[in-house]
Amino acid sequence: MSGEDRTGLYVESTIIMTTVRVVAPFVLTFALFVMFHGANSPGGGFQGGVIAGSVIMMLAFAYGIDSAREWVDVRVVTALASGGVLLFAAIGLGTILLGGNFLEYHLYERFLSHATAYGIELVELGIGGIVASVAIGLFFLLAAGYGHAVDTPEAEE
Amino acid sequence: MTLTLIEAALLVFVLGCALGAALLQDVLASVMAFAAYSLGVSIIWVILEAPDVGLTEAAVGAGIMTILFLLALANTVRPQEDRILERVRFRTVAFVGAFVLVMLATVPSLPAIGAEGAANPVVSGEVTQYYLANAYEQTEVHNAVTAVLAAYRGFDTLGEAVVVFSAGVAALTVLRQEVFA
Repeated sequence: MSGEDRTGLYVESTIIMTTVRVVAPFVLTFALFVMFHGANSPGGGFQGGVIAGSVIMMLAFAYGIDSAREWVDVRVVTALASGGVLLFAAIGLGTILLGGNFLEYHLYERFLSHATAYGIELVELGIGGIVASVAIGLFFLLAAGYGHAVDTPEAEE
Repeated sequence: MTLTLIEAALLVFVLGCALGAALLQDVLASVMAFAAYSLGVSIIWVILEAPDVGLTEAAVGAGIMTILFLLALANTVRPQEDRILERVRFRTVAFVGAFVLVMLATVPSLPAIGAEGAANPVVSGEVTQYYLANAYEQTEVHNAVTAVLAAYRGFDTLGEAVVVFSAGVAALTVLRQEVFA
């Protein structure tokens, strides 16, 4: 089921490649806008992360999943996922160390002004990192398929 | 409440797509109907003035889910059948019908759209009013939804983020991979 069938997934099309090349930067910018500006407009980490993840999927559809897999650094994806969780938890637990409750942002005020706004922004970024990397990861995992994954575990290094 | 033409058209579209997703024999057509359903629902969210939910529905429901479904289809065998619609079984109809009835029974207890004051306990409730009155002062963000998500209910959101992370880890485990690639 894997090998020959999977190569049939990709159809090289000038129209798709050109469209994606033009649209991708704007989609990524929009994703970052939704993530960063989520505090003052609709959106936030979850939505921005999903849109950022979809940029990689667009590239994969235009240039082939295998090329996209080679282009995306696995370590970055993994680091984003676990780093997001760690960042969120660290910000939350940090206020407990300062003598307050979980996520009591204004305790950071002694280190920098507008700490609450920056804290929320950082938390949103952490969420965005988790969601984007897990979306990208699930995409690549599903594209590889079960049989493929078991057959060649060392080929993905 | 009275429906505008756009709202009525959207509701008909969403119901049609939902029926299509359930009844179409071809799985690919089902996935497409489901994506259209999500897109319609996301526009309904925007009309109901819940743009945060609308954005999520459009990005996750219509976007990522469709792509993941398509990938799953590409990796499996799609049976070719001549019939357009699924064969409907009486037991399924009875079960789904009972479920829909239960869901519909909760609708009358929801406040009318746009209702204010005592007629709408969701809006006039103490908690909602507290968030709306104090969110900017206490959290320095204008979007009250973000204030609730990241500050007031931050612990819940950490849980949600960890759930997403766990989903990724679970997928890796099930597929016996060590890295996302």
